[in-house]
Amino acid sequence: MGMKRKQLVARVVMIVILTLLALVYIYPVFLMFMNSFKPFGEIVLDPIAFPKAPTFENITYVIDKIKYGKLFMNNMLITVIGLAGIVAFSSIAAYILDRRRTRYTAFIHAFIITPMLIPFQTIMITLLKAMNVLHLDQSRVGLGIQYWGFGIPMATFIIYNFMKTIPKEIDESAHIDGASTLKTFTAVIFPLLKSVIVTVVVLDVMWIWNDFLLPLLMVNSSNETKTLVLASYTFVGQMNTKWQYAMASMSLTVLPSIIVFILLQKYIVEGVVAGAVKG
Amino acid sequence: MDKNSKWKKKERLENFLYTLPAVILVAVMMYIPFVMSGYYSLTQWNGIAKEPVFIGAGNFAAIFTGKSNFLNSLWFTVRYTIGFVIFSNILALALAVCLTRKFRLANVYRGMFFIPYIMSMTIVGFIWKFIFTQGFAKLFEATGWESLNLSWLGDPGLAFYSVVAVGVWQGLGFYIVLYIAGLQAIPGDVLEAAVVDGATGPQRFFKVVLPLLGPSMTTCIFMSLTNGLKVFDIILALTKGGPGTATYSTTMQIYQEAFTNNNYGLGSAQAIIYFVVVLVITQLVLKAMSRREVDL
Repeated sequence: MGMKRKQLVARVVMIVILTLLALVYIYPVFLMFMNSFKPFGEIVLDPIAFPKAPTFENITYVIDKIKYGKLFMNNMLITVIGLAGIVAFSSIAAYILDRRRTRYTAFIHAFIITPMLIPFQTIMITLLKAMNVLHLDQSRVGLGIQYWGFGIPMATFIIYNFMKTIPKEIDESAHIDGASTLKTFTAVIFPLLKSVIVTVVVLDVMWIWNDFLLPLLMVNSSNETKTLVLASYTFVGQMNTKWQYAMASMSLTVLPSIIVFILLQKYIVEGVVAGAVKG
Repeated sequence: MDKNSKWKKKERLENFLYTLPAVILVAVMMYIPFVMSGYYSLTQWNGIAKEPVFIGAGNFAAIFTGKSNFLNSLWFTVRYTIGFVIFSNILALALAVCLTRKFRLANVYRGMFFIPYIMSMTIVGFIWKFIFTQGFAKLFEATGWESLNLSWLGDPGLAFYSVVAVGVWQGLGFYIVLYIAGLQAIPGDVLEAAVVDGATGPQRFFKVVLPLLGPSMTTCIFMSLTNGLKVFDIILALTKGGPGTATYSTTMQIYQEAFTNNNYGLGSAQAIIYFVVVLVITQLVLKAMSRREVDL
């Protein structure tokens, strides 16, 4: 009986400590949202308390000033283009590389996945020049296309490892029924890749949506092409003493990610774990 | 026979065509810039002059004789990475152990630790800049704790710890969920057997759980290592590398050399050295860890 009681006390203590830790841990995020609703004077006077009389003035000012709607659509456009290409080109390549084991495909496999070892900063200087020659710089579509090249190595690697678990008999029987290779892939194999595609989508959306350095190099020169993170970075830089606007802009930048995370927590966490374990 | 060779030919054509988009994209975005970096590293070029001037190993000589801040930044990056790997893994493992207990809000708590990880790192840097400068001052007023009154971003020594702490705060959720996945994969009967054999809590953890977590630990250490070596956005937003050059990471150094100082040749040389350093460190650690896992 004493033992049981001791265990119960230990459990309660653990949960209480964990609760405190979790609250302190998330407090900085909470602080940012809270301060978005305070006028300037109140932030300076008391940055850590609840707003006394919440105001939406900062939020509306920032939405108008940074053209939030436009930036949001820029982010969507770049992310969707990036994802579409990464998923399409990586999955068809991974299919061929797994099903056709020849010396040629072995070489291509190595060629596609080896660049995972190259850090972005190693190539960024000359990338700017190369993209300038190809007219893929200073453009949202061009940036989306660039993500294809950077996303394909990892995506191909993950999908290729998953492809091994799909029995070959499935495509053989489709083939006997007269389906072409492309048809077999699109109609039979691709639907079976659903879980691994979710993994790739989760990893790549988180990466592209929040990416900073590549957009900074490629689309930062015009307000028309900027991403949310870039605009927020510039804006906060300009507003570094006007904390009320800086906070509102930061809150607006991370709000979409947080809403999506709350709605899809299970899939996002599973995707991240699967991606790390396979990657 | 004829049909067979025709089929072979078609197959070869398909192998070529269906992998072609991936091959071209990877070549254009990664291989070509990589080779160009190799070439530019041997030249002097300010980006304005028409042609880069070939100077052989001049840039590398300048770097290794300490004429740029590069070696300094490399040393910072190594120290940052060590701190980041150690704290991320210890804290993540401890929290994962608590969060795998069954209680009603476990999932909500996991979400709370994960949220910083889905946020943009520049925003994370800004939030903490605000906290270190404005929030700590107010908290000091309220509590009188001297440690809150220190210059956490202004003092070179303290700024290092601040940067590491913010980096760990942002990434911790990721390592927590990886360790949780690893802990949940440990079969319950193994732990029950340990209980039956009379193992105490700490014994169970160190003698049973920890060895079985080998693969998760390898993944987490490796991921935190590569993420630590790549640190950029957080520092840019938090300290801009300062005070002075106290928190200048290698990635920032390369960016600065190329795009602020317009030394494209020298920047490329630094980029190539950075690549080699990252490759050597990650491969050595990977090898050491795989050897350790076999020993278990």
